[in-house]
Amino acid sequence: MDIIVCIKRVPETAEADLVIDKSKKGIDTDGLVFSINEWDNYAVEAAIQLKEAQGGKITVISVGPEENNEVLRRALAMGADEAIRLTDPAFEGSDATAMAKILAAAIRELPHDLILTGVQADDDGFGAVGVALAQMLDLPYAALVTDINLEGDTMTVHRELEGGLEEVDKLKLPALLTIQTGINEPRYVSIMGIRRVAKKEIAAKGASELALSGNEVGPEGSMSQIEELFFPPVGEGAEIIEGTMDEKAEALVKIIKERGGVA
Amino acid sequence: MEKVAVLVEHRQNEVRDVTFEMLGKAHKLVGDGGEVIALFLGDASQKGLLDMFSPHAHRTIAYLDSALKDFEPLRYRAAFENIFENVDCQLILMAQTAFGMDLAPAIATKWGLPFTTDVVDIEVTDGNLVAIRQMYSGKVNAKVSLKPSDKVLLTVRAGAFPAEDIPKISGEIREISAGIEGDFSGRTFMKYIEAAVGDVDITQADIIVSIGRGIKDADNIPIAQELADALGGVVACSRPVADKKWLPKERQVGTSGKTVKPKVYIALGISGAFQHQAGMKNANTIIAVNKDPKAPIFGIAHYGIVDDLFKVVPTLTEKVKELRG
Amino acid sequence: MEEQQQPLAERLDLFACIQCGKCTGGCPVSIRSPLNIRKVIRESTVREDLHIFFNRLEIWDCTTCSTCAIRCPRGLSPVDAIIGLREMMVEEGKIEKTVIDALDGAYKYGNPWGRAKNKRAEWAQDLDIPNAMEMEPGQVLYFVCCAASYDPRIQVIAKSLVAVLRAAGVSFGILGNKEVCCGSEIRRMGEAGLFEMLMEENMKNFAKIDPGVIVTTSPHCMNALKNDYDGLGCDVKHYSQFVWGLIEEGKLTFDTPVPMKVTYHDPCYLGKQNGVFDEPRDILKSIPGIDFVEFGRCRENSLCCEGGGGRMWMEGTGIGKRLSEVRVEDALEMGVEAIITACPFCLLTLEDAVKTTGNEEKLKVIDLMELASMAIGNSPETENEF
Repeated sequence: MDIIVCIKRVPETAEADLVIDKSKKGIDTDGLVFSINEWDNYAVEAAIQLKEAQGGKITVISVGPEENNEVLRRALAMGADEAIRLTDPAFEGSDATAMAKILAAAIRELPHDLILTGVQADDDGFGAVGVALAQMLDLPYAALVTDINLEGDTMTVHRELEGGLEEVDKLKLPALLTIQTGINEPRYVSIMGIRRVAKKEIAAKGASELALSGNEVGPEGSMSQIEELFFPPVGEGAEIIEGTMDEKAEALVKIIKERGGVA
Repeated sequence: MEKVAVLVEHRQNEVRDVTFEMLGKAHKLVGDGGEVIALFLGDASQKGLLDMFSPHAHRTIAYLDSALKDFEPLRYRAAFENIFENVDCQLILMAQTAFGMDLAPAIATKWGLPFTTDVVDIEVTDGNLVAIRQMYSGKVNAKVSLKPSDKVLLTVRAGAFPAEDIPKISGEIREISAGIEGDFSGRTFMKYIEAAVGDVDITQADIIVSIGRGIKDADNIPIAQELADALGGVVACSRPVADKKWLPKERQVGTSGKTVKPKVYIALGISGAFQHQAGMKNANTIIAVNKDPKAPIFGIAHYGIVDDLFKVVPTLTEKVKELRG
Repeated sequence: MEEQQQPLAERLDLFACIQCGKCTGGCPVSIRSPLNIRKVIRESTVREDLHIFFNRLEIWDCTTCSTCAIRCPRGLSPVDAIIGLREMMVEEGKIEKTVIDALDGAYKYGNPWGRAKNKRAEWAQDLDIPNAMEMEPGQVLYFVCCAASYDPRIQVIAKSLVAVLRAAGVSFGILGNKEVCCGSEIRRMGEAGLFEMLMEENMKNFAKIDPGVIVTTSPHCMNALKNDYDGLGCDVKHYSQFVWGLIEEGKLTFDTPVPMKVTYHDPCYLGKQNGVFDEPRDILKSIPGIDFVEFGRCRENSLCCEGGGGRMWMEGTGIGKRLSEVRVEDALEMGVEAIITACPFCLLTLEDAVKTTGNEEKLKVIDLMELASMAIGNSPETENEF
């Protein structure tokens, strides 16, 4: 079975104090720790577990500059067989649609029975590349997958819906799944493990190898663009809510609802 | 924005709240002269749902087909062929929900609609649409513009827009029963599975009500459970509560327990010691209720109430239940 | 770095074990855990495939207190077998999520709590402590520790130590944000490769500084730098050793009485593993007003608090009563007002135990340097309420 996993290298921002850069369209990444997108980590683990159970070959792909080799190599150390990096200055500034086009161009040339992506990315939280990619490759797909059961050339998957509800679907291979966190427990990758794959070659492919022209990728090939980043208004430390008990409770309910806290 | 279409989200014979949130926003966008169109995909047995939302749209297009009885993106996508032939609009709104995420990017990609996702606000100035969405663990907001096009698509975050006070217009309902064509064997809906009672994985919860020593006694835990139930969330705890076996260890948040990243984390009677903070500091919104104004939890919470949780929680639960109606 | 291809039993010479059981007889966690270290050694020598240990949660109950190694008549180190088994599990990635998070945190952020690197020295921002990188060679380097840098409760100890050192006229520097985890717990959780990385980074900075002595807050840091690091070339002292030296030299005197009936809990990494029993006691006894009582299980027989060996990040089997709670109950029976500790992990686990047994009103847990700081006239830094 040929499994392809698309992975992204993202900055860890939850702990960090972020600074919007001069262009106002990005953040200053100086001093930020980068790692594999959390959802993609679950996807790599899912692929490895399928391979351990049924045999096969796992190829991990990432779009980005040389630093992306870090996450590709880590995936190799985890158990992937091959890694490919798609890289070209023309790819910079690609939104989800352009990203999907780049990935589709690469994947079309590779044998694939199953393609896995994460549901969304830690940095932009867009949640669209996987499904857009499935559309471009004309594959059956399912998003937010929390369980995979392979049965020959079909599979039964669980999708995570709201409020603890799950949906069960049957898909025919080849297919694409976007993987939700919690589907498994990703194994640890040790320093020694990463050292062992340090010499493994990671193929790099650019726009011309993928037969992609400049206007298909980057800002020209994108459907959306960030005009400006700004910080949402926030107070120092906790904003203490005052008032009568009723007023406090009402204010709190409003906040909870706005923050997606009422399922 | 003259015409905005809203894809109605429904499941298990209920129209989901986010539908009304989208309809409300659609009205704000089109203003007095425009048109809000509700798009409903389902089968004839679900016609009863139409009355739940159609009063809020100028026009409802109900695409009814037995093939559309359950949410299946491949079939819904096929239905959109017909929808795009019959419906003229500048903007389509869908929800950034399990259904929406499974469908919107496919629709947008297939028809080349510029799109962006999980928007928390939409602004239209001089005919130019700008969507606001969050990035980087919710720490940074982005203004996003779309490629100029006759039609664009946005997915909307559930809870971002109010569902109250939506205009009532009682527009027409038009049913389309044409058959959808295509091979949909690639994906087939099998069934739904309800959450098993007692199977709680707090790391997967969007809403967590967490209790600390301030709960004082195991007998008091039900008040937290009631709040969690009202919100559709789960109950978690800090270590002392798990150590006393008032809750199973699986519910413990902290360095020797679980790390959680919910949308909302409500800390009740938790002081917020370092080891606990390590397990929940990345929650999108942290709300703390504690009698002690100096409790460390207020240092990382976004919102706080300095008061007795035994007074706050019942009132809060009541208000939540009122909201849900 | 060499691959550990040798089977565990060979590498650690476990065939020399005579199965006398002195190790298990002295193992503190065996009071509450199914861990039987004698049996683990036996199985390691007879089994071909050690994967059977992968499901044995008790392997993670071990606190690496090293009582077993100290008692072994053959001079073997059974605790290293535990670490060796953990290394196997780490290599295959099959470890608890909390351990993964601690290891990932140390790798990415230089501390197992995953706290931002640029906040490591925030505790010292108003204290004007010189940057060690700019010190002359031969000076005192204060190696703070991840817990003391980031945990508000332990930051108090660091601040107290700074106050005491200044009262004695000692000039010293800190690495600030360049300090990374000593790697002690990382190594004992089985990530040898990561331990090496952390060691190399610290050693690089130590080489630039060329200190005369490194003083640590934590016995774990002291033990790692002194015994685990290769070729450090300078003296490493726990603060109790260094501060007692200052008292002996007449540079530090305690004028302010601290009238308290206290006992002292010997940290395993300070006492059992490095033989430092007297200096903390001598410091205590030189504080006027202190009424000192010994635990029944003291010195080499100190009851491990279960904070070491990575236990701050994992529970293991979770069976039975925590030893820290036993310790708290023993202290209450002795009628003391406080347990004095000299290790951040001991302080945290014992304080936790005071809370979970509901004894906050009756017993405090105080670090030796907090007491010392009070004895030189400072008011207590913490209300001890966490």
